[in-house]
Formats: sequence, structure tokens, C-alpha cells
Amino acid sequence: MIEIEGIGRRFNTRDGGSFEALKDVSFSVNDKEFFSIIGPSGCGKTTLLKMVAGLVKPTAGRIDIDGRTVIGPGDDRAMVFQQFVLLPWADILTNVGFGLELRGMSRKESRDAARPHLEQVGLTRFSEHYPHELSGGMQQRVGLARALAVGPDILLMDEPFGALDAQTRQLMQEDLMRLWEVEQKTVIFVTHSMDEAAYLSDRVLVMDTHPGRVREILDVPLPRPREEGVRRSPVFNELTSHMWRELRGMMGDPTAPAPE
Amino acid sequence: MGRHRGRTHEASNSGVWEPVVTHQGEPSIASGEPYTAEAERTMTANRWIPWAFRIGSVGVVLLIWELYGRAQETTLFFVPVSSVIAALWEQVQTAEFWDAFRQTFIPFVWGWTLSLAVGIVAGLLIGRFSTFDALTKPYVTFLNALPVSTLVPIAVILFGIGYASRILVVFLFGVVEVTLNTAAGVRYVNKDLVEMGESFNASETRLFRKVILPASLPGIMAGVRIGTGRAVVGMVVVEILLVAVGMGRLILRYRGRFQSADLFAVVLALIIFGILLQVLARQVERRVSKWKYEMEQIA
Repeated sequence: MIEIEGIGRRFNTRDGGSFEALKDVSFSVNDKEFFSIIGPSGCGKTTLLKMVAGLVKPTAGRIDIDGRTVIGPGDDRAMVFQQFVLLPWADILTNVGFGLELRGMSRKESRDAARPHLEQVGLTRFSEHYPHELSGGMQQRVGLARALAVGPDILLMDEPFGALDAQTRQLMQEDLMRLWEVEQKTVIFVTHSMDEAAYLSDRVLVMDTHPGRVREILDVPLPRPREEGVRRSPVFNELTSHMWRELRGMMGDPTAPAPE
Repeated sequence: MGRHRGRTHEASNSGVWEPVVTHQGEPSIASGEPYTAEAERTMTANRWIPWAFRIGSVGVVLLIWELYGRAQETTLFFVPVSSVIAALWEQVQTAEFWDAFRQTFIPFVWGWTLSLAVGIVAGLLIGRFSTFDALTKPYVTFLNALPVSTLVPIAVILFGIGYASRILVVFLFGVVEVTLNTAAGVRYVNKDLVEMGESFNASETRLFRKVILPASLPGIMAGVRIGTGRAVVGMVVVEILLVAVGMGRLILRYRGRFQSADLFAVVLALIIFGILLQVLARQVERRVSKWKYEMEQIA
């Protein structure tokens, strides 16, 4: 279980003042839960995810994973990035094994260990290709396979499909859904797409902005395994309309003082 | 120790499904575009056009040189290019030329190698650790601001006219560019790549060896190429300015005797030497940063 307790984050600004990006954020994520975080741009959702990853330190509060406080990155977590972040000089198989290589495995061993994960995302025949030869969707499959290859308990996904076109995005969502149903990992998924959040998640955290904080946490009462058809169900529509009303309220004049 | 974090670098692969052509002109799997003979002809033609211009431009200058040289009343000052080439051809058949070349070449190789080794190591440290950057900044700034030639007399006073002072001067000429370019290469490594490495819980050593070092290779190799050019300048400057040995001595002697064709020939030999080193450095650069060139093709 991931427990986020009273997290806050202040940044110092250039003019000597400070800016509060996150304020008193508390929630918890259960084991093997698919948990999404949605909110307007600048609400600090990516910062929050990076804190769970151990890449950014909170200035207040703490994050516990199975009772142990996060002080940095760990072998129990792996991240998938919006811009894929593959090594341009290495082929696909090396890229998939790169997480293992960074944890001390040799190049050869990590490539061997990467093969089944490349197969998982359906890219076996591209193992010798280079990232720039692949489409965005394929590159993100590589990013996902790289994260799965290190065998993490927790998958942290930072708007992973945000850089993809609508059709590719939908295909990727369905593939991720199937993978997750097999892999049964805890996933924290940051997105700005309401459809995506509703389709994939068990629960959705809606964040408020200026400063970033918890607005509400929604249950997604859709049955699993989820078929593509749930996107047209009344429950799905009710959920996405609700999220839209919430987000829309926050997206008024960005210079207006935040409601307390 | 504080670390430099690379600047955010917008990934060129925006995820848009674009036709991609690799540098050999092969269709990529992403586009699946047919590979037509016409496309190949266009690419081949395009590749030859810059070469045609380069050869043409050199040809015109050589022609003017030749005509102007022949129009001179005396061969004391300016000689046509054909006489220079003839003089060079004669010189390379003498033992004196090759002795001079050896005298010049040996300290050059030492100073050059040393400047690459020291420059790369210092650049890596400066680029990665801000503490090291702060410690060395005054010296790097000093060497960068100063015409290195002014250090030649000091080097000779301190180390005499033997190999040591010439090695030192070649080293000083080359080392700054290698250091600065390497440091820039490390500093501007895509910040996202570093963060990715950190997120996988990599140790500092592994992060450096597996992410930062390969990602800064293009910068390092640019430093090697520019530093090599500078080292050649240092090699000639020290011999002409103070220590009359090797190729520098030949230059001074032919100048003193108004043997212009021979003087030009020595200079031509040095130019050829410099170009060969540049070509070599560029080949290594291209090989090492192949991925970079391929990326730029589609950027």
C-alpha cells in the first residue's frame, strides 16, 4: 500500500519569494489498484508522481510504501515517461533491458531478459531497430516494456499516452488494460484525459490547482475485465461528465485567486 | 558535490506519425514508403552538388594563383602553384624534409595526445560537478582569453628548447577547446535521460558510464576535432616564434633565402598534414556519434 500523508511542495521563485505547488495532499493507493490522477495543467500531478518515484523530495509530509518512507528511487518502482525517453544510440532490445542494466546486469544478460517483455508489447521483430525508426506508439511500448522488465510492484506512469494521436492512444489504453489484468501491478497513472482515467482506473483522484490539492477521489464502478464497449455505458458517461464539471470549474480565469 | 542538471531538451520525436528516412535513404519501417529509384537518384545527385561546388571553388582559386604567379617578374616573392607543387615533390624526396617532419611530429603527437586525455577528463569533471567547475573556471577562462602564443617565450624559458617546451605549447593550444566542448557536451545531456536513469535507481557510477558518457560523446568528439586543429597551430607557432627546429626551421630558412617556391611548399605540406588530421578526427566523430547524425536527418 502506498500512503501519501500531508504532502506539500514549495518552490523558490526567482524574485526571492516562494510558490506553493502542492498543499496537504493525502490519499492512499491499495495494492494492485489502478489509480489515476487527473487535474488541470500546473496542478502538480507530475510532481506528485515524481515524489512517489523518489525523484523529487516533498517539503512537507511523507510517502510510505508498505510502511517504509520513500527517500529516493527504489527497485520496487518503475516509471513510464510522457516523452518515452529512450536511448537514441541503442537498439530496441537494449532499451528494453536498460533498466536492468542500470541495476547492475550486464548488457548481454539484460538483453536476454528483455526478450519476453518485448514480446509482451508485440515488438519482437523490431528488436534490432533504433528508437527513431519507430512511431511514437511503438516507442512508448518500448518504454512500457522497459519498466515491466525490472519486475516492479508499482508502475508509475506520467501521461504516458499524452504525446500520441487519438487513435494510437485508444489502442494503447486497451493494450495496457490487458497487460495490467495479467500483470496485476499497482499503477499510478497521471493523465489529463477524462476518458482515459475513467476507462482504465479503479479510482480517480481529481486534483485542484493553485496550490495543487485533493479535490475528490472517485470510484469507477465499471466491471472488469473492461471491454471497449464500456466507453458508451451510462456509468462511464456520468463519470466523465462529472469530471468535466469539476475540471471546468477550476479552469476559469487562471489569474483569479484560488477558492479556499 | 553539486551536479549540473542538463537543460530540458524537447524530444524531436513528438509521436506524430511521419515518414522517416534514414541516412542511407532507406525507407523506415515507420513509414513503409516505397523505395523508388527516382528517390535514390535525387539523393545521390544532392550529395554530389556540394562536392562539385567545393572542387570548383578550389579550382578557381588555384587557377588565379597560377596565372598571377606566372605574371610576376621575379620568383623571389610570389610563385605559381605549379612551382610550389614541383618544389614539394622535390622536398619529399630528401632526407632533410623527413628529418624536419619527424622533429616536428614527435612532440606534436605527445602534446596532442596529452591535450585530448587531460581535456576530456577535465571536461567530464567540470560538466558533471559544479564544484569542479568553480575550482577550474579561473584557469579555463584565463587560457581561453589569452592568446596562447604569448606563453611560448615563458615555456621556452622554463623548459628550454627541447621537446618539453614544445610538448607543453601544443598541449596548451589544444587542451582548452577539448575541455570546454567536453564540459558543454556533459552539461547539455538531455535532462530527461538523466532522470530516467535515476528513476531506475542507478548508482552515480552507472548513470555516468551508461547514460551521461554516451550522451556527451558528440560534444567530446567536437572538442577532439577542434582541439586537434588548435594543436597543429601550436606546433607551427612554437617553431616559428622561438625554437627554430623541424618544419619551422625550414620555413625560416627558405624565407631568409627568398626561396619562395620551397617556402610555399613547406606551408602546403603543413596544410595537408592539418587537413589529414581533421579528416581523421571527423571520421572518428561521425562513427562515434552515428546516432546523432541519424537523428538530425529526421529532425
